[in-house]
Amino acid sequence: MKLVLNLLILTLITPMIFGAQIVLQNPKVNELAPTFSSMDSNGSVVKLSDFVGTPVILEWTNHDCPYVARHYEENNMQTAQKIAHDKGFIWLSVISSTPGEQGHVSPEKANELSLTRNAYPTHVLLDESGDIGMMYGAKTTPHMYIIDAQGILRYKGAIDDIGSGMKFFKTSFADATNYINTQLDDVIQGNSLKVVSTVAYGCSVKYNYD
Amino acid sequence: MRHMRNTFLALSILFCSLIVANPVDTGHAKASLITNLQTADQESFYVGIRLQMQEGWHTYWENPGDSGSPFEAIWKTNTSTIVENVQWPTPVTIPYPPLMTYGYEGDIIFPFKVFRSMDEDLSKISVDVDFLICADICIPEQASLTLDLTSINPDPLLDIAIKNLPTKFIQTHSTLNGDQLQVTFKSSKPLSTAYLFPRENDLFVYIPKHDFIQLNENTYQISLPILKSNFESFSGVLSLDGEGFQFKEKIQSIANISLWQAILFALIGGLILNLMPCVFPIISLKVLSFVYMGGDDHRKIKNHALTFVGGVMSTFLAIATALVIIRASGSMIGWGYQLQSPVVVGILTLIMLGIGLVLLTNINIGSGLTTLGSNVQTQNNYSGSFFTGVLAVVVASPCTAPFMGAAVGYALLQPSFATLPIFLSLGLGFAGPYLILALKPEWISALPKPGAWMETLKQFFAFPMIATALWLMWVFMVQTSGDTLIELLILGLILGASIWMIATFKGHWKWSGMLITLIAAFQIFNTLPVSSNNLLENSSADSWNLEIESKLQTENQAYLINFTAAWCITCQTNEKTAFSRTRVQEYLISQDIKYIKADWTNRNEDIAIGLARYERTGIPLYIFWKPGMNSSKILPAVITEDLLIRSMQ
Repeated sequence: MKLVLNLLILTLITPMIFGAQIVLQNPKVNELAPTFSSMDSNGSVVKLSDFVGTPVILEWTNHDCPYVARHYEENNMQTAQKIAHDKGFIWLSVISSTPGEQGHVSPEKANELSLTRNAYPTHVLLDESGDIGMMYGAKTTPHMYIIDAQGILRYKGAIDDIGSGMKFFKTSFADATNYINTQLDDVIQGNSLKVVSTVAYGCSVKYNYD
Repeated sequence: MRHMRNTFLALSILFCSLIVANPVDTGHAKASLITNLQTADQESFYVGIRLQMQEGWHTYWENPGDSGSPFEAIWKTNTSTIVENVQWPTPVTIPYPPLMTYGYEGDIIFPFKVFRSMDEDLSKISVDVDFLICADICIPEQASLTLDLTSINPDPLLDIAIKNLPTKFIQTHSTLNGDQLQVTFKSSKPLSTAYLFPRENDLFVYIPKHDFIQLNENTYQISLPILKSNFESFSGVLSLDGEGFQFKEKIQSIANISLWQAILFALIGGLILNLMPCVFPIISLKVLSFVYMGGDDHRKIKNHALTFVGGVMSTFLAIATALVIIRASGSMIGWGYQLQSPVVVGILTLIMLGIGLVLLTNINIGSGLTTLGSNVQTQNNYSGSFFTGVLAVVVASPCTAPFMGAAVGYALLQPSFATLPIFLSLGLGFAGPYLILALKPEWISALPKPGAWMETLKQFFAFPMIATALWLMWVFMVQTSGDTLIELLILGLILGASIWMIATFKGHWKWSGMLITLIAAFQIFNTLPVSSNNLLENSSADSWNLEIESKLQTENQAYLINFTAAWCITCQTNEKTAFSRTRVQEYLISQDIKYIKADWTNRNEDIAIGLARYERTGIPLYIFWKPGMNSSKILPAVITEDLLIRSMQ
């Protein structure tokens, strides 16, 4: 009985201790991107190191977030994915929503979302613990990162320039400057990027904040 | 019939609510438009967008923090009506660890100021509001609201909301310390919490609590982690126990010299201090004593030089330690601050005068502060060498060379670990010539052989010392009064008599004059305040305050600020050779430049803060600004009439 009680206290206290330690990291552009490994929606383990030699795009996502929803409903995100795919990029969609929070999905649901929305992610990573999100300092959905073939973080921030204020919901994507699509060639050719860091916009990433 | 009337009533209510849609249920909030319009002929009044959000839901401030978005309002009025931008209420922190957002919960009113022309009839005012409302999840919602202005219906809630707006400005001063920005501000009320909401959204890491310390009675400091260090200005709302204050600050050239540069400047500045009029005689006499010893014993010269260096270094170390301790206690202090006390100035006057008299009378005073090069006969008197070092530093402190000021200013704004090396480097520069002498005592032989010329030179050195005493007397008079100066002069007379007694008489009682001097000095200095409140008078200058620069800039008024003090000799020279010249005064008047004097003769914490804004802790400092300039500029510390006028053109 006493053991059960101790275990109960321990399970209550542990998240509190770790809860106090959750801190968003702030990876620096033009330095090595933090490495990670995660389960994808098909049950296989995906490591960033698997893609050495290939440039990688990370997209933080939450299909119920109105910002993400608009990007998918108007085919904007899929277009970006297609362009990146054709240029030889790996596209990883990362879901850091904790179980029970908005955007958290089962592997089957994640695959179904890709199918129904005609999305082109190479993998959908299920980051339930939020570890990868915090390692990258992902704050919003969407929040984008470009990593080059050498594993160097080249861009972090918003997907485009229409996110400040409520104008996002009124501005056509045709009038937006997309920071991903327009900079892929420079990443491939090793040129310095025109825009390396922006303030990401959108819904907050639904970490385990309770 | 009755049934029909009820139907009509219901229909008309429905009809009205279609035209004057107010309030509107947007899903998770009730949105409404309110006004404080009191009479039909008011030209300016307020309208407010009121959002009554459901429990647990929030919307955002203009900088939403890590995620979210501020609302947007599009007004539909006639062309002669102007609706100003929203006046944001003081936000609150809405944490979703590890993320932090800034916004509003519950029932919030966003006031807008409206100006209308009475020529055109403004019967209603309409707005489309788009806002993001979030709990754990976010939903964009909207409302089209219309307010009927034909019926007067002021809402007292709007007046309360306007009254609570963060409209008051608070003066802040920020310095960068590693990856933290330390923001200092004052509050007359005791505070228990403070949070700084930055308006710019890419400068800071948003954290739930800002480190908050009380520096002294009414000065507080909070620290914010920064994302990037190369920003020049920032603004926002400082929330003090929930009450919001606006602030806007230009950050002046953050750490424009490195620690190594500061150490180098300190070294050079220390060397130059040797040439100051109040220092040169003392150290020259020290060299003379070496010359006297020069013939026979190099080892003795070496020891004396090293002891002198020891005296210099330990005094600088003591000053640095004292500064660090005073600063840790929260006081704003600056270089030369010791001369802000008339007691210190009085004692220094007597020391200078005494040294001058001793040099003239050719006496040997056994030991202590007045042991100078004159007592070379007592060659084993190392304490004499040590205290000469101490004395040299004490009298040197007012003679601050301009670029030594930059190094010391830097030192005082740095953490303690950087303050000490800079001061030690200053001491090393000051003691440099003797250190070299200690290493190469044979070089003393290069100087002329000892002889009668030494006595003549020694007597001549009395005059720069007495001149320094005269200048200190003037400072003393400005700090106190003419009557008190007479008391000091009487003390000087008694001191002169006692020195004469020591020189002339024999036996122990010849010291009685000195005893009388000490007792009298104690009597007089005891009655003096530690620092007095008199100000330098200058009829043509406006007095300075912390807010004056931002005030004048908003008024588009050109200005010239002169940070000065009676004890600052460079400042006084500049006053005479530049600022008080008729041509300069006329130029100021013809160009409509406001001339402002900040007098630091006495301790003044606000001036210390003002100087710190320019990364200075010492004076002189001259600041000039005129409309069209992005930021005020610092004029040269040593300035002439021509240079002053040219730099204002």
